[in-house]
Amino acid sequence: MSNLAIIPIIIPLLCGIIAIFFHKYVKAVRLFSQVMSIINLGVVLWIGWLVLQNGTITLATGGWEAPYGIIIVADPLAMLLVITSNIIGTACVFYAQSSLSKKQEQFYFYTFYFLLISGVSGAFLTGDLFNLFVFYEVLLMASYGLIVLGGERIQLRESLKYVLLNLFSSMLFVTTIAYLYSVVGTINMAQIADRVQQVDQTGILTTIGMLLFFVFATKGAIFPLYYWLPKSYIVPNPVVSALFGALLTKVGIYSIIRTFSLIFVHETNITHDLFLWLAGFTMVFGAIGALSTNNVKLIIAYNIIPAVGFMLMGIGLLSQDGLAGSVYYLLHDMIIKAVLFLLIGALVYVAGTSDLTKMKGIIHHYPFLGWLFFLAALVLAGIPPFSGFIGKILLIQGGVEQGQIMLVVVGLGSSLLILLSMMRIFMRCFWGEKEELNGGLKPIRSFTWPAAFLLIFSVLLGVGAEWVYPYVEIIANDLLDPSIYIDSVLKE
Amino acid sequence: MEIIMSVLAGILFATGVYNLLQKQLLRIVIGTALISHGAHLFILTMGKLKTGAPPILVKGVEQYTDPLPQALILTSIVISFGVTSLLLVLAYRAATLNKTDNMEELRGSEDE
Amino acid sequence: MIYAVFAPLVMTLLIPFFNKWKDKIHTGWFLLPIPLFIFLYFVQFIGEGFSPVAESYQWIPSLNISIDFYLDGLSLLFVLLISGIGTLVLLYSIYYLHKSERLGHFYIYLFIFMSSMLGVVLSDNVYVLYTFWEFTSISSFLLIGFWHYRERSRYGALKSMLITVFGGLSLFAGIVTLTYITGTTSIQEMINQKDIIIDSPLFPLILIFIILGAFTKSAQFPFHIWLPDAMEAPTPVSAYLHSATMVKAGIFLIARFSPILAGEPMFFIIVSLFGIITLCWGSYMAVRQTDLKGILAFSTISQLGMIMAMLGFGTKAAIFAAVFHILNHATFKGSLFMIAGIVDHETGSRDIRKLGGLMTFMPISATLALFGVFSMAGFPLPFLNGFYSKEMFFEASLHLDGYGGQFIPFFQQAIPYLAVFGSIFTFVYSMYFFFGTFRGEAKMGELPKKPHEAPIGMLISPFILVLGVILIGLFPNLVNGTFIAHSAEAIYGSAVEKDIYFWHGLTYPPLIMSIIVVVLGTLLALTRQKWAGIYTIFPRNLSFNEVYNYIVDKTETASTKITNKYMTGSLRHYVLYILIAILVVSGVVFFLTNGFAIDTSGLSTLKLSDVPDILVGLTMAIAAIGTIFTNNRLSAIIILGVVGYGLAILFVIYRAPDLALTQLIVETVTVAIFLLCFYHLPDLKKIKEKPSITLTNSIISIGFGALMTIIAISAHSSKWFEPISNYFLETSKPLGGGYNVVNVILVDMRGLDTLFEITVLGIAALAIYGMIKLRRDKEAK
Repeated sequence: MSNLAIIPIIIPLLCGIIAIFFHKYVKAVRLFSQVMSIINLGVVLWIGWLVLQNGTITLATGGWEAPYGIIIVADPLAMLLVITSNIIGTACVFYAQSSLSKKQEQFYFYTFYFLLISGVSGAFLTGDLFNLFVFYEVLLMASYGLIVLGGERIQLRESLKYVLLNLFSSMLFVTTIAYLYSVVGTINMAQIADRVQQVDQTGILTTIGMLLFFVFATKGAIFPLYYWLPKSYIVPNPVVSALFGALLTKVGIYSIIRTFSLIFVHETNITHDLFLWLAGFTMVFGAIGALSTNNVKLIIAYNIIPAVGFMLMGIGLLSQDGLAGSVYYLLHDMIIKAVLFLLIGALVYVAGTSDLTKMKGIIHHYPFLGWLFFLAALVLAGIPPFSGFIGKILLIQGGVEQGQIMLVVVGLGSSLLILLSMMRIFMRCFWGEKEELNGGLKPIRSFTWPAAFLLIFSVLLGVGAEWVYPYVEIIANDLLDPSIYIDSVLKE
Repeated sequence: MEIIMSVLAGILFATGVYNLLQKQLLRIVIGTALISHGAHLFILTMGKLKTGAPPILVKGVEQYTDPLPQALILTSIVISFGVTSLLLVLAYRAATLNKTDNMEELRGSEDE
Repeated sequence: MIYAVFAPLVMTLLIPFFNKWKDKIHTGWFLLPIPLFIFLYFVQFIGEGFSPVAESYQWIPSLNISIDFYLDGLSLLFVLLISGIGTLVLLYSIYYLHKSERLGHFYIYLFIFMSSMLGVVLSDNVYVLYTFWEFTSISSFLLIGFWHYRERSRYGALKSMLITVFGGLSLFAGIVTLTYITGTTSIQEMINQKDIIIDSPLFPLILIFIILGAFTKSAQFPFHIWLPDAMEAPTPVSAYLHSATMVKAGIFLIARFSPILAGEPMFFIIVSLFGIITLCWGSYMAVRQTDLKGILAFSTISQLGMIMAMLGFGTKAAIFAAVFHILNHATFKGSLFMIAGIVDHETGSRDIRKLGGLMTFMPISATLALFGVFSMAGFPLPFLNGFYSKEMFFEASLHLDGYGGQFIPFFQQAIPYLAVFGSIFTFVYSMYFFFGTFRGEAKMGELPKKPHEAPIGMLISPFILVLGVILIGLFPNLVNGTFIAHSAEAIYGSAVEKDIYFWHGLTYPPLIMSIIVVVLGTLLALTRQKWAGIYTIFPRNLSFNEVYNYIVDKTETASTKITNKYMTGSLRHYVLYILIAILVVSGVVFFLTNGFAIDTSGLSTLKLSDVPDILVGLTMAIAAIGTIFTNNRLSAIIILGVVGYGLAILFVIYRAPDLALTQLIVETVTVAIFLLCFYHLPDLKKIKEKPSITLTNSIISIGFGALMTIIAISAHSSKWFEPISNYFLETSKPLGGGYNVVNVILVDMRGLDTLFEITVLGIAALAIYGMIKLRRDKEAK
């Protein structure tokens, strides 16, 4: 029991509010945000370290004991994800200053950013289902603010679809919570898990679980619910795309990992087998989507989807290797998606177009950008020894263990397609004859460095897997045994 | 009674979804509003209806209705109010900028 | 050993600095010592009494991934090839690549490759092996695309990458499966558990996964198509990666796993069948080529097929011959590639139709080529190493161990004939290569440059290789006991001893086969012009390139087609898909789990006092349905208001006074905003829809409403637990200090919800303000 658990939510909330007051002074608010996000990252790292060393920290807000009040549960999984989110956030804040226009910075970009981080952290940390809904709304509302920032015609059009679909799924979310409350009489996740276990997930519970899955799957962009994603992720500014690509869908995945390893684990031959099918389709359709377009931003946006498939595969396997693979892949994917959106933002900025048939030979002018992209492409495709590889070993191993050979083949096949989609960008945009750029050389240092900073983590997650993997192993172990979570919340 | 209310909420969902599937922006927004009403009614129904006094403690009353769903609805109402307002302004802006309120004309194309 | 493997990789960090002086000193000179030292380091292991050496370093112990190096005879053969030919190629490249080229890039790629290739052949840990394996593919990609402003280079680079990475992924699946079965990541440990692996039901899968990995890398039929296109790379690269080392990684892989896989009928059939086909197809196609490097590329394919086939045979003699041929092939093919590069460099053309008569201009190159070519053709002369291994190949093809089954005996009978067939064409293209380039009439007019002999530096490397050809030919037993035998032993599993002789007597069947090859080969080579027309009949335009192009193109166009089909951008479609998914899946799950429950006892009974709620409910239902049919925006908004206010009344009836108040206020404000925003928009129109659309919409929405209702009823009828809210009722006063329990919950017990609910409202306000303000500013401009 310690107030530390809620700090990762509170700091960005306060920062976001403070940033409102001097939003007109771009330089000040920019500096403030940069400093504060670094401080927050430091704090979060420290708390994360404590959690990894000493175990889960819980906080009963307002002193109302579980299961009655809202419980914040900073367990290793949540903290790892909070840390990763903050690393990405920090890089994005530094990227924002050159990527956004002054007007956009003035109109509350930093406030929305901080509240997004706050909402995302809250969603990771909360142990209460309705509170999860509230944090979902916080992060969604912040994302609405971010997606309309700039107010271009196309942007508003896609934002509209984005808001409408999310509104629909939010309403489905509260309704589902109500159903669940009616059956088990509680909204504390640990207690829900406990009570669902007592009645062995009979009757209507599995159906309610599936509804909940669909709510998260809509946010998490799982087949067949991802339609809203690609276009709405490419219309805002690249820094916003990076935040979305890295954080938003992953919150959905995290929620699925949480609920379907903790609560709904008693009918796996229905629910989790279905996930395996959906995982396969998600990978295939996502990879196909990534090959379907010449718009470089859209290629990256589509590439979010097969990665989600990989993570869902691990959840569907529900084994030590599968879950560890999902979590590892989650960490990897958050970072690499941010990197790619940031790099592509820079590419589009220097090329003045996002159509890859209209670019060539960019590497002659911007070698650093080109090689960063190449490295990022390898990381994304899961080439060893980078971060995607570790997750892939675990997932493939988990698949083989359970005889899911077809799924393994589909997964590896989609990796090849992903690589092809990335190489299309590299070969068409960066390779080729040198030609004069319209607009001349532009300074892009402030674009490339934040991306390079993140890419270091991608490489470290692979080469230095020994520093991270043992924790992921423990996390997977804990996830497999719901009683650990339940006890840590209910028996203080 | 709960069954009747469930059916009513179901009707609200159905009409909401039907409106959501239309082309005109106004209808779509109305659809979302209906869905939120439906959702709130569902929450209320999921507590027991009319099984006691309003959850305001009064001496001598033993039976109260379930206060938690009410609290949840309240939070949800406020949140959906926020989202709906944003949606309305966004819809208005999107429609004027794109010069159409027909969602089917707001599909967008490959080459943008 | 670890230093030897990583030295080139570390060196890449320094290359940019060396490159700064490249105008004065060619970058290659700085780098030359590295492979040379590695070579010298490994040379000291050669000897009769060699025994395997292991070295181990921790990397990711919790995943059983550690950098374990294991140097046995097989690895030793390969590391010597990699570092030895690496040195020669580096020396050669100094003269081949002009200083104006991007030397830094070139050497960085080349050194990444060198490290990875050394890693592949030395790693005992499968994951580390795979890591290095993929890096050979990537560095090969970069090297083929070195001149990336050429369309052909890009095409070739992508092709090689896709095919080899495809194989890599397959290999990956194979090793993960192996690891799963054996519980170890070490190849040597896996070999110890051979029985477990073979008995596993997953064994055929493993076999196919690993073979796919090897075949793609070693350009076996039908994956050979990437190799000819890889010839777009600078010639030193072709000599190094695409003939001597990288393409042999697949061979290495099969050899490495031979102790586990060999002896299985499936392994024998697949590997030797595809090996033999590759041998024949490669040599047959080589004669058709007009590009010097093209001939050599197909020749490499065919030779790799031959080695692969011998590994497939799996007999003692075959494995010995395979190992011997790996070495011999590297020497003569390496030198021939370098000669081809010299010809290209000094004449400006590699097109054999434009070349000819170069013997007079380039006598030294021609002499070197002569040895290389005849060694490749397997001409029976005692100073050509190619002959020895070719003869052993024939011998091995005649003595295959028996396997049972229907197909195998027939196949075993056919193998010697196919071997001779392939070798005849090998002879033909060898002659074609040499005589087409160096003999005949010189066609000076067609050459971009006036031909002359290459600088001495460029000739050193091929000269050393040819020296190798001759020395091994003259004294084959020099390399035999010292390391060929060790190498064969590592593959076969037990000691392989064999003496190499030139002369076995006239009636020795392999010699007769060789003589047939020479005689028929000479005949065909002389009459090549006459029968070359056969290529227009077979394979005509049929080529596996077409298949590859078709697949890649189709992948893109089909992706576009499929994706555009469902990603229409239409909100209606998206909502429809989502709803259908929810309906179908939830519906099916609902039935599968017997979700339905109805329990009337827990429900409040209908009484006269219920009439108001029913009336309100009825009004709301009618109003809700009314929104669908109204065609006037004002009335639509008002009807919506009716639903909202109705809900407020329901809240009153159902004992929720706070909710009713909130709902009233919120509804009023919402209606106001509705009116404001939609005042400027076009009025609602009655849009004539196709009946099918209306029908789908109706079915889906009614279905969805029904689903939600049924779940609600079932959920309500399954109240299995005491709700936690009793606690709130009890503690609201003593702990929360308030009588209104809902309020206490909101501000105290679930205060965090409320805090963030306000935050949501705040963000909404900011976002709205931003949207309006930014527009104002824009319009002001």
